[in-house]
Amino acid sequence: MNGSPSVFLALREITKQFGDFSALDDVNLQISEGEFFTLVGPSGSGKTTLIRILVGMESPTSGEIHLKGNTINDLPANKRPTCMVFQNLALFPHKTVGQNVEFAMKIAGVDSQTRQKRALELLELLRLPLDFYDKNINQCSGGERQRIALARALAFDPEILFFDEPLSALDFRLRKTLEKELKDIHRETGKTFVYITHSLEEAMVMSDRIGILNEGKLIQIGSPDDIYNRPKNKFVAQFMGEVNTIAVDRIGQSRVRDSKTGGEFDLDSQAQEIDSGFLIIRPEVMKIGRSAQFMPNRIEGVLFNDYALGSRIQYQVRSADGENHWLIERLQDDPFSGNAGDSVVIGWRPEDSILVDQ
Amino acid sequence: MKIVARWIRQPGFLTALPVGIFLLIGFAGPLVLVLLYSFMPPKTFTLGQVPTIENYISVVTQSYYISFGWSLALAVVTVFLLILITYPVAYGMAKIFGKWATLITILIALPLLISENIRLFGWVLLLLKNGIIDGSLQYLFGLSLSGMLYTVPAIVLGMVYVYLPFMLFPLVIGISMVPESLKEAARDLGASRFQIFREVELPLSMPGILIGSLLVFILTLGSLAESKILGGQAIVMIADDIESAFTFAQNWPKGSVLSVILITISLIIIYFLFRKIDLDRVVGRR
Amino acid sequence: MQSSRQGKVVRALIVVWTGAILIFLYLPMLSVVMASFTKQRYFQFPVKMWDTRWYEKAFESLSVRDLFWTSFSIATLVTVISVVMAFFGALAFARYDWKGRKLYQRLILLPIFFPQAVLGLALLLWFSSLGVTTSWHTAVFSHLIWILPIVTLIMSIQVYSFDPVWEEAAYDLGASRLQVLREITLPILSPGIVSGAIFAFLLSWGNFPLSLFTTGADQTIPEWLYSKMVSGYTPMVPTLGSLTIGGAAGIVILSFVILNFYRKLRGRR
Repeated sequence: MNGSPSVFLALREITKQFGDFSALDDVNLQISEGEFFTLVGPSGSGKTTLIRILVGMESPTSGEIHLKGNTINDLPANKRPTCMVFQNLALFPHKTVGQNVEFAMKIAGVDSQTRQKRALELLELLRLPLDFYDKNINQCSGGERQRIALARALAFDPEILFFDEPLSALDFRLRKTLEKELKDIHRETGKTFVYITHSLEEAMVMSDRIGILNEGKLIQIGSPDDIYNRPKNKFVAQFMGEVNTIAVDRIGQSRVRDSKTGGEFDLDSQAQEIDSGFLIIRPEVMKIGRSAQFMPNRIEGVLFNDYALGSRIQYQVRSADGENHWLIERLQDDPFSGNAGDSVVIGWRPEDSILVDQ
Repeated sequence: MKIVARWIRQPGFLTALPVGIFLLIGFAGPLVLVLLYSFMPPKTFTLGQVPTIENYISVVTQSYYISFGWSLALAVVTVFLLILITYPVAYGMAKIFGKWATLITILIALPLLISENIRLFGWVLLLLKNGIIDGSLQYLFGLSLSGMLYTVPAIVLGMVYVYLPFMLFPLVIGISMVPESLKEAARDLGASRFQIFREVELPLSMPGILIGSLLVFILTLGSLAESKILGGQAIVMIADDIESAFTFAQNWPKGSVLSVILITISLIIIYFLFRKIDLDRVVGRR
Repeated sequence: MQSSRQGKVVRALIVVWTGAILIFLYLPMLSVVMASFTKQRYFQFPVKMWDTRWYEKAFESLSVRDLFWTSFSIATLVTVISVVMAFFGALAFARYDWKGRKLYQRLILLPIFFPQAVLGLALLLWFSSLGVTTSWHTAVFSHLIWILPIVTLIMSIQVYSFDPVWEEAAYDLGASRLQVLREITLPILSPGIVSGAIFAFLLSWGNFPLSLFTTGADQTIPEWLYSKMVSGYTPMVPTLGSLTIGGAAGIVILSFVILNFYRKLRGRR
């Protein structure tokens, strides 16, 4: 569903300074028509500034924004053919659901019959009951309000629809449902969606491509698969969640040494050409057992504790001196079982580890 | 220069300008003028004279302490009476009445929109010889209570009546800020109803009591209508003295000195008042 | 059990006490209204003869018409000016975060807590020093010193609950600055603006201490009432008093009805 691969929205060397603080530093990005692109970053990474620049609420200190080949830098927000779903949704409290959805059309001078017809179509598209049309905004639930906000933005018929973390205030289950719904609506409307969030997990579910932003810099752009399996550096790898990180120095074509303990490990043959960096091993690819020799790379330690995670169980293993600790996740029916204080061996296959830069 | 330019360009500063400039001209200006006049020789009507502190000396040596004394005494009495009278009502509004509290708030605030004079005149009718109270007593029991009007208690009654909302509303805010869970914790620890009141509710609602007291205090201190309408010639309060100095006696510098003293007392109290409140929280809570 | 019964007694006492306070607050006004319907030249209770002739006289009297007109002109001008200025004042008070805001919030409220009689005299001094002849025009100025801060405060309550992101959203959906003001800002803030206007009008209408020193040769209803109360009582005092009470009650009730109607309209569509 990626549509045509032609460049639709392009950002060239976007920089934003607030006094001495540089919120965005030389951001370059190209988004294709019909794409679902997500910008992910921790708070303070500059993602909100970037999206505000894209919708026209702020202007960049330098750099250019092109939409369909035209520079739109000087176009104010109300003249740009794009619109945004705000973090707190910004639904107008003094207007009904219908009036909210019709707002952009009313501004554009569309007659009331056409407006109402379109608003009802959108309510239907968003799986909202049609009698919501006359409902007071304040009587709607969190999930309903999300859908109304999306309907209001779609009624504007934007070239690009921006989302500023609209799901962040919802509870876990509703968020999961709406993530999928949003992806379905993206498919049904074929519009270009640009979404920002601090949750890489959320981005993985919905996006065609993901851009990772940290301290005003775009660190990596790629498909969810790229980001997950080929993180460019330690920041991206750790952003995904809990991972085991070991500082290592390269000592051969496919061999590294733990810079703290001196232990040596085999590398994947595809590993990046880095002299010293970090070895990333996800908890779910780690194995745990009582005896050695079952894995090429292994570390001996003491079982510290175990945590049930529903379908899986997570173990924390510490080195004998307590200086280092590792996380291992196994399925509940894994043959291993142990008690705190037991001596254990943990290990992984070279192809399950990733060598990354600082 | 650059900092000044940036400061001026803040939208907040720009929107503050109309009201700010107006009050600078209409409020700060007259007050500075009063301060300047207080240093002019007695009975002069221009500012070009040689400054003197003669007026201050004459005010201190003359018998103005009597009217100041009455004003301060009545202010203190009014404050104490109002705390006692309004605390139960405030407690009810904060904790008991629920949705009725809004209606009661409106009912208590509405009289503020009627001229003080008219409301005080109502008391004249009630307290008058052969008035509503006296007349009823005569009619029903043959008793007579004719000497109620034009007395000090009548003035106090008028002040309590006029300034009641100004004590009540801060108290309601103060009491509603006492978390219910604290009272439950105290009850859980074995405190009696009275102990909970004395050890938890009263100290925690103290900010509200203090704000209400200071507010009522400055308002009564500068009040004029109550003593004139309900007090007749019973006593002279400081605002009366200021008025006659400016009008009958045509002694602007002396009136200014008395005003400066009253204003100073008021400003000191307002200063403490404002240190106690975070306006964003008090006004913005909803 | 013991403590909950005790609680019930305390609750009942508080309810009774609150009722008594409400009667205390409204009793004087009821007395004025009652007195306005008596026939005698001097008020006596119990009332022996009821009459409405003082109302007829009030409506016929030219001087009453003058008084009414002066009070009305002052209150109307004060309302219009204070609503416009306080709208901006409230934005500075509650919406924008700017350097100097905390100080502004405090300074702007000073006049509210200031002894009004002293303020009136200081303004009298100010006007005569500037060579301005006092009349009902100067009274408008004086009333504003006290009423403008109050209206600013009342509107601020509404502004605090206004989220600027609503304006951004409307702007993003294509509305011009003017359309944002008309479609979003003014409608959402309108309850605050309306209550501010009502307060401005009624507070100006009823003000006595500021009018007393700054109206010059003109006279407002509260001033006239005061002068007649202190010397030269006439039965017209309770009559005009009642008319004022009735008028204020009418305005308040009417505005409640309008606000309620507006809220319902908003609720439905």
